[in-house]
Formats: sequence, C-alpha cells, structure tokens
Amino acid sequence: MGTRIEIKAQTMITSVPNATTAVSPRHNSLWDESYKRLKKNKAAVISAYFILFVIGVAMFAQFLAPYSFDTQNVERILLSPNAQNWLGTDSLGRDIFSRLIFGSRISIAVGIFTAVVSLLMGTVYGAFSGWFGGKIDSLMMRLVDILYSIPALVLLVLAKVTIESLETFKDPELRALFSIFGALSIYGWMGMARIVRGQVLQAKQMQYIEAARSLGISSPSIVMRHILPNILGPIIVTLTFQIPANVMFESFLSFIGLGLQPPYSSWGVLANEGWRSLRTFPHLIISPGIAIFLTMLAFNLFGDGLRDAFDPKTK
Amino acid sequence: MGDKFSAFSKNHILDIYKIVMGILLATGFVVSVIGVDGMLTTILWSTIGALLFAGMIFLVIKQHLLPYLIKRFMEAGVTLLVIVTLVFLLLRLMPGGPFDSERALPAEVMANIAAKYKLDAPLLEQYTHYLGNLLKGDLGESYKYLGRPVSSIISDTFPVSLQLGVYALILSYLIGIPLGVIAASKHNTWVDTGSMFLAMGGVTLPSFLVASLFILIFSFQFQILPPALWEGPLYYILPVVTLGIRPAAIIARLTRSSVLDVIRSDFVRTARAKGLAERVVLFKHVLRNSLIPVLTYSGPLIADIISGAFIIEIIFAVPGMGRHLILSVTNRDYPLVLGVALLFSVLLVVSNLLVDIFYAIVDPRIKLAA
Amino acid sequence: MNLLLKSSLYTLSLTALIFTTSCTKTASDKTLKFGVKKSETLIVNLQTEPPSLDWNKSTDTTSSEVQGNIMEGLAQFDLADPELKALPALATKWESDKAVQKWTFELRTDVKWTDGVEFDAQQVVDGWERLLNPKTAAEYSYFLYNVKNAKAYNEGKIKDFSQVGIKTVGKHKLEVQLESPMSFFPSLLVHHSTYPVRKDLIEKHGDKWTEAGNMVTLGAYKLMKWEHDEAILLERNDAYFGEKAKTKYVLGRMITEQSSAINAFDAGEIDVIPELPSNDVSILKQRPEYQKQNGLIVYYYGFNTKQKPFDNLDFRKAVAMAIDKKEITKVLGQDDVTATSWVPKGMMGHEEEMGIKFDPAKAKEHMAKAGYADATKVPKITITFNTNENHKKVAENVQAQLKRNLGINIEILNEEWKVYLSKLKSKKGYSIFRMGWVADYPDPDNFLNLLTSTSANNHTGWKSEKYDSLIAKGVSELNSDKRKEYYKEAQKLVLEEDVAAVPLYYSIRQYLINSRVSGFKLNPLDEKDYKSVMVK
Repeated sequence: MGTRIEIKAQTMITSVPNATTAVSPRHNSLWDESYKRLKKNKAAVISAYFILFVIGVAMFAQFLAPYSFDTQNVERILLSPNAQNWLGTDSLGRDIFSRLIFGSRISIAVGIFTAVVSLLMGTVYGAFSGWFGGKIDSLMMRLVDILYSIPALVLLVLAKVTIESLETFKDPELRALFSIFGALSIYGWMGMARIVRGQVLQAKQMQYIEAARSLGISSPSIVMRHILPNILGPIIVTLTFQIPANVMFESFLSFIGLGLQPPYSSWGVLANEGWRSLRTFPHLIISPGIAIFLTMLAFNLFGDGLRDAFDPKTK
Repeated sequence: MGDKFSAFSKNHILDIYKIVMGILLATGFVVSVIGVDGMLTTILWSTIGALLFAGMIFLVIKQHLLPYLIKRFMEAGVTLLVIVTLVFLLLRLMPGGPFDSERALPAEVMANIAAKYKLDAPLLEQYTHYLGNLLKGDLGESYKYLGRPVSSIISDTFPVSLQLGVYALILSYLIGIPLGVIAASKHNTWVDTGSMFLAMGGVTLPSFLVASLFILIFSFQFQILPPALWEGPLYYILPVVTLGIRPAAIIARLTRSSVLDVIRSDFVRTARAKGLAERVVLFKHVLRNSLIPVLTYSGPLIADIISGAFIIEIIFAVPGMGRHLILSVTNRDYPLVLGVALLFSVLLVVSNLLVDIFYAIVDPRIKLAA
Repeated sequence: MNLLLKSSLYTLSLTALIFTTSCTKTASDKTLKFGVKKSETLIVNLQTEPPSLDWNKSTDTTSSEVQGNIMEGLAQFDLADPELKALPALATKWESDKAVQKWTFELRTDVKWTDGVEFDAQQVVDGWERLLNPKTAAEYSYFLYNVKNAKAYNEGKIKDFSQVGIKTVGKHKLEVQLESPMSFFPSLLVHHSTYPVRKDLIEKHGDKWTEAGNMVTLGAYKLMKWEHDEAILLERNDAYFGEKAKTKYVLGRMITEQSSAINAFDAGEIDVIPELPSNDVSILKQRPEYQKQNGLIVYYYGFNTKQKPFDNLDFRKAVAMAIDKKEITKVLGQDDVTATSWVPKGMMGHEEEMGIKFDPAKAKEHMAKAGYADATKVPKITITFNTNENHKKVAENVQAQLKRNLGINIEILNEEWKVYLSKLKSKKGYSIFRMGWVADYPDPDNFLNLLTSTSANNHTGWKSEKYDSLIAKGVSELNSDKRKEYYKEAQKLVLEEDVAAVPLYYSIRQYLINSRVSGFKLNPLDEKDYKSVMVK
C-alpha cells in the first residue's frame, strides 16, 4: 500500500524527478547545472521575471495604486475604463486598478504563505515519518490517508468556518486572512508530507546515508544535513505548483462566500464580484481574469521549467 | 511485461469478457446520454453491474486478493469512523445552531425542537446515537428539509452529480490521452508546444470564469447551447466540458511525459529489436505502460472532479449534490453535512481501491499483498 | 509512432464530432420538463428546493409560495385595501364578542379537497392541534399562543387538547377562546401554519404526505410532480371553489444562483425572476421586463444599548442624526424607500413624519453633550452584519458617513450567518447590528412587538415598560384610529426619545417578468398568486 501512495503523490505533480538517484551530497554541481538548464528555458525565465514583477507590485502596492482599495465614490459607480480609473470602477465607485494592485498583495500572500506553511508542516511530518519508518511510519501515514479521504471541499469549508469563529484576531481582516491560511494549510500539508516521506524513504537506501549512519552521526543531523538537501529539488517543484493552487483555492472560497470579505480586495474577491456581471459590466471581470490567468500561467511554466531543470532525464 | 499477460490473453473467456463489457459500456453511455428510459436501460445496467461483479469475483479468486480486500475494507471502516467523528466534532465546534434564524424563536418552541432532534442530550449521547443509527444504515433526517431523510436527499441528487462527474471523467480521458500522445509523438515541435500550452490554459483559470465565458459565447453569442438546467443532452454539454477541462489538461500533461519516458525505455527498444509488429509495440507496450501513471492518477482525479463539480452545478443549475455540500454547512444541517461528507469519503476510498486493483491488472509486477 | 498519432487524432476528432452533432440539435422544442406544453405553462423560479411543503412546519418563503397556491387559509388579505385587511376565504364570516376575546368563524360548506373529501371545521382544529403539538416541534407554534391554553399545550403542560380554546360548533363553525384580547386575530389565520390539515392522510403517509401523489389540498392548484432539488409542477385544480386558475400548469424551477437565473430567463427557460443581483440592477432596470413593488420590509440598524458608547442616549442621537438615509438608498441603487417610522409604508401604523432627521451639525452637539467632543476619545465601535453584498454596501456607507459627519472611526465586521445570529443572541461583541423584518401578517403589532422587553428578537438590550404597555393596548384595541395612536406613541418613544434603533429603508421587491406573461400582480406582501396569471 505504501509504495503506491507514494507513486500517486508523485504523479500528481507530474512525476517528480528522483534527484537522489543522480546526486551525491553537498555537491554544488547539481545546482549549477540545474540553474544553467533553467536559464536555457525561455518560457521559465520570462515566467520568473513575471512572478518577480507581481511580487514587486504586491510589496509596493501602496505606492503604485492611484487610489486606496476602499475609497468609495458614490458619483462614479460602475464606470468603464476611463482616464481617471484606468480599469473602471465597481458598484461602490472604487477604482478597480487600485483594487487589483492591492488584491495582488493578499492573493500572493495567501499563495506563498500557505504553501510555505504546508511545506514546513509537511516536510517535518514527512521526514519524521520516513526516517523512522516501520510502525511509526505506517501510523503517521495512516493518519494522512484518513485526512486525505475527507473531501477537500468539506474539509476546507469546515476548517474555514471553525477557524474564523475562534476569536483569533481582533482585526476582522486578519481574522479572515488567518482562517484562509489555516484552512488551506490544513489541506495543503498532507500532499507535501507524502512526497517528502517518499523521498526520504528512497534517500535512506542510499549508500552514503548508510555510511553516515555507520559513522555514528545522529539521526536529526543526517536528515537535516544529508537527506533534506538532496530532496530539495522535488520539494521546491511541489512548492511552485502549490502556490497557484492556493491562489485558485482562495478564489473558490470567495465563490462560495467564505473568502475574504470586501472592502479588502484579493483577486479571488474581485473575480467573484465580477463573474456574475460578465454580460452587463464585463470590465469588472476582464482585468482580474487576465491577472489570475497570467500569474497562474507563469507559476505553472516556471514550475515546469524547474522540474525539467532538476531532472536531467528530461530534455 | 509479459509472460503473465500473454497467459491472460490466451484465455479466450477473458477476451470475450473484455469485448462484451466494452460494447455494453459503450451502449450504456450512449443510452444514458440520449436519455432512454424504461426496461431497456434497467436491463442494460443490471447486466453491466452483474458482469462487472462477476469479473471482480473472478479476479479476486484468481489473484488471491481476498485477504487484501478484507484488509482494505477494514482500513476503510476505520477511516470512515475517524472521519465521522472528526466532522461531528468540527460541526459542534462551530457557533450557531441549526434552528437559529432571523426570527428568534421563543424558548418554549426551541425546547420542543431540541427535544425532537435530541439536541438537548449530552454530546456523547448524540454521537453514539448517530453512530448507532449509522450502523443500521440510517443517516437521520435533515434539519432544513423537514421530514426528509438524508438518504433520500442523497438518492435524489447524487445520481445527477455522478452522471455529470462520469461524463466529465470520460471526456477528460478522451481529450487528454490523445492530446498527450500527439504532443509526445511530435516532441519538441510546435504541435507539442501548442498542445501543452492549450493544456496549461485548462488549469490557469478558476472554473467559474471558464463557465461564465462559455455561457457568454455559446449561449448568448452563438445561441446554440442552453445556459442552465439539466434536461437533456443539449443541456449536458456546457457543464460537462467546463468540468472536464481541468482534468483533461492534467491528463494530457501526464500522458505526454509518461509516453516520452516509455518510448526511451529499454524494453520498447527490445520489443522493436525482437521484430514485433509496430502496432503491437505501440499499443501493447508503449501505450499500456505509459497509461499506468495516468491510471494511478485517477484517484486524485476523481477527487478533483468531485470538489470541482459543485461550482459547475451551481452556475449551470444542475440539480446535483454540490449545493448541499456548502449549504448544509452554512445551515448547520448536521445530519446532512455528515451524510454528504460520508458519501464523498466512501466514494474517494472506493475509487482509490478500484484504482489500486486496476493498477494491479495492468501492471502485473505490482503485488497486492495483505 | 505514426500509428499512435493517427489513432489519437481519430479519437480526438470523434469526440469533437459527437459534441458538435449534439450541439446542432435544435432547442426549438416547445415541450418542457414533465412533458407540459410551454403555451399552457407559467415557469417561475422558486430559487431553492422548498424545504418543506408541510404547512404546519415550514418557515420559509419558497415553501409558502407553493403552499399559498395549492392551499387556502380561513382568511386572506385584501391586497387592494391600503391597510391590507383580512377578507374571508375558507371562512365566510367571523365576529368577536365585546371583549375581543372570543371569536366565531363560519366556514364555507362548498369546499372539497382534491380527493373529493368535504372540508369541515374539524380539519381546522386538527391543523391547530398538530401545529401546537410539542411532538410536531413546529417553529410557528407560537403564532397561536394567544389561544387559550395553547402555550401550555405546546409546552407539554397540558396533555388534553380539548382544554385548548378552540372547538367546533356543528360541522362548519368554529369557536376560538383567546387568553387576552386580540383585534387582529383573523389576520393570523391567513398564515400557512394555521391551514386545515387532513389528519387521516398524515397518519397514513407520515412525513411523506407532502409528496406528489400523496398530497391532498384544496387551493387553485394541485401538486402534480415534485422532483426534489430540480423542479415542481402544479396543475389547475378544476374542483377549486373560487375562480378557476387561468393557466393550466405552473412549473417551478429551483435555480439558486441569481446570475444563472437571469441567463435562464434570457434563454426563455423561466418567465419570472423574483430577485435581482444588486450589481446589475442599474442595467436590468432599463429593460421592459423590469417591475418593482414596495415590500413590507424594514431594514434597520440597532444599537447595543448595553455597551459603551451606545449606553449613552446623546451618543445614540448623535449617530442617528449623522446618518443620511438617502445616501444609503442611492448606494444600493435599487430605489428602496428611505425609512421614517418602524412600520413600513403601505400598512397601518406607518408614519411619514417620524424618526430622527439627518442633521450633522446637531449631531456634533449631541456628541459633545455625550462627553465625546473629541471624536478620537470614542470607544471602539463595530458594525456587524451577516455576509451579504447589500449588507456590506450599507455598512461601508454608514462607516464612511460617520467618519465624514462625526469624525469617528468605525470597524465593520461581517460574520457568517449562523455565527452572526449566535453573536446577536449573546449580546456581546457588537455596537451596531443590522437586521430586517418582513411582515408575517400586515399588522403593526407584527413589527412593533419585536422591540418589547420579552421579545427574543430584541437585540438592542433596550427595555421600556411604557413601550410594552402601549403595544399590549394596541393588540386589544378594536378601533383602528385608537390603535394608530398607540403605535405612533410607541414608535416615537423608541425611535425619537430613546433611539434604540434606526430604521434605514423599506426594501423594494424587483422582478423580471417575461412579456408573454400577463396578470402577474405584484403586491406589498409578495404573495405570488398564480391563479390570475395568463401566458401566451
């Protein structure tokens, strides 16, 4: 049973390479070579720049946006793009261009932060499980299996509503954000745990690990210094794919009315406010739609590029 | 790959079985799309069911799978028990009760309601009561749809969701696999780049955007497809395509990389060197082997379709289970949430099990050990 | 490799072919679901699956829309009357004794249920027994609490229903004894929870008595088909005692998502949409199919008078004066009517000159009087509302107005519906809340009772003995001029003197109605009466 799960988890992100098979520890050549391969991949490079651009926009939103995300103007409701409002205004007279820029902040934050949290949780859990193996491993993986069998949506909805109802933060925005982070992380870490555990299991068989063990190096040290660096490739690739998935999930949460609430703006919020009006006020949806599309594309292309770069087999 | 498989092929009964099943399933698919009602469909589907069951029994005996299956079922039982407990507890953690409404009710009325639904009992008692009923196959009564058993809500809406999901699944294989094969066979050409870009597009937009775009184009620009409802083949197209796009894209990418891997592998070279006919090499060796990862992905794929379906169901007003998934939580309709969660979990567990078994059939190297 | 490529291409094109051929099938087919002809059918959007057609138990508008067309109550509202008085329906006439405590109802003798059984007074008694029976656990059982011993029976303190103040006198006459005088008692009998029931059938079918095939009713339509979560079909009841329905069938669809409903409307799949998405109203308003109607709905902001700074009367006055209601209705863009009195326009008890007027200058004076001359010293204020597009718009606008007019910073906090309700129940964690009230029956008591000290719906924490006694007087008074006086005084007390809440606007109801439909009469109670509707 165990092996198959691992295969499944791997194939989910389109066959993660076995970096461990080709690499010896603490060798920079892998990274150098991967970097070279990555640089040759034009689509990935452009995507990387685009991602950096989006992150930059998100970080400097205050300086870039002409208006605040919540400045209302009753006199200027639902305007099409014009000189003052480059992308038009919404039903409360707020500037969509500004909301889009501020929205990138939350969307990217949700994407990256959640992916990193799931990564940390998943890596610790997976590494622990994989390293100890045996009874502990099967018990821990059993738990992941069980959680994995709860339909994603049920888990997300239940977790989101429950976390939000706990008075975690006074500020409603933070509370909503925290609950989104929480719900998505609760869902996201499991996939990561499986992958890491599979990789650790494989890495454990390697001769140099055996060697390190026989030299009497402690387990945590082996895991930290020898195994983790070697399975970093697949982990990073998974991370790159998880970010867009999280951005997407955030928009789904908005769709079912459980996402972040305006006046705060995220791409999911904007898309959700807009799709209903595609026939009446298309400008509400076109710009967030394009923003989501391009960003998702960039993350996916970059992820593909990374995977190919780490995996010498593919050309 | 081999010996075992050629041994299988010699078995004529198995070949006949495969062909008959194929024909029956294809007919069943066509019949269900066209929407023929009555005896014919019933007979057809019960025949398929019976044959499938017989096939499974045969397989179980032949491959000595019984202990494995028993183990898996026991594991599934534990999984479901944990899920029920978790969901049950999570629900009670949420603030707000099922009968809180805009019109606050007098305490006397609330007391009657609490008594009727045993909401006034201690939590543990409610839990054991629910479990007890569950073992008897009773999922309880909805708190929102008064007097309607959860099982009947499920049996009214689930078949529609299943229909939508299965069509989308079939569509995604029908599009994804050929697209992936084409891309792989034209590796590193514009065809490859183009189809992979197309596939990428399928995963980069939230489905509610894709849905509203399709509605705009096909229902209002060209006026060839209805924008909502579920009342015949014409109505099925938009929801099925919208739902199928994402999995199709994923399958296409999986198929491509997997075909590329297999083509370069030694055994294909060996097979060619042995002088086997190209047809045999391609279909028996390349395709079969490269479809294994695709097949294993079916488990997560089904999960993906399940959780993606509710958006499609809401937008296209498909009378499936999707809306209950969300609404039951916001209504705090405890029995319905539990019922729906349980059903979806069973579905996931079973589909994973089936995938594992099929996996063992296609790839005899895999041993399903207890 | 070529072979593989070829077969892949074949598969792809075959798939495409199947789809395009099924596309070309024309949709001009005029036969609808359940095989009914479109020319004989009114297609409405019920928006959701009716949670229950069991009229003793249901509490929602979708169910009552269907129930109202397949059933009748003892009385009905006169929609032409400005005060919406109760008119006879299953009852032919009623009268009360001098003390307004004992009512007698004469019932029609010519009514038959759809299975041919005659309607009689015992069926009304059975209905009320079922409504009040604690085992039914009906939410609306409190509707009849003023009937003698009804509350005790509902609480299980009395087991014998004959002690409850309702009895038959002969086959077609009812006598009702009330606990305390109630002038508008017949209005309650319009409500679906008080409809007569067929006890024999309920015993026979159990919970399934409301399914198509089992359900027996006596209204203008009868339930023919009910495919749960998908559609419902009503057919004209030819044995109906009143004027027969003009359209043979009514097909109710259940499209929840508003934008999908509009898509379906534009594709000719539904004729009537009862609610429009707020963002698109400005465009939809210009369409010829657009119709609107004032509703008996008050949308209000309540103050939590138990918490600082809203425990201070002057502060409450200041806030009330700093809100320009016109701006709110403008932001909503739906032509809602700005509110004056608590009781909405279109029924008895409404006052055009009532409530605190918008006056930012005076608002500042009151702020100073309350001890908050410096706006930064005001303790934290939160407006809470349940997650919803319109509530959000209102809250955001009020937030902006109070900032502009008083200089105070206000937090807005949306909660998921059930979380919101439990918060209101706890009376903690909010200073201003939003709520709305839709008329159960068009009597001022239905609205004003909400702010009494015993009402579970009073989330303000404000209590007044004087108010309670005014409301009690209004209930027992038969003379409507005198009633109006009581209610005017009560509203003045709560809205102008004590300022426990601010009614913001009376909601409007908006429809899209296909041009092939005629005779669809909009009314303030939003009763969807299909029997006078015709389709082309």
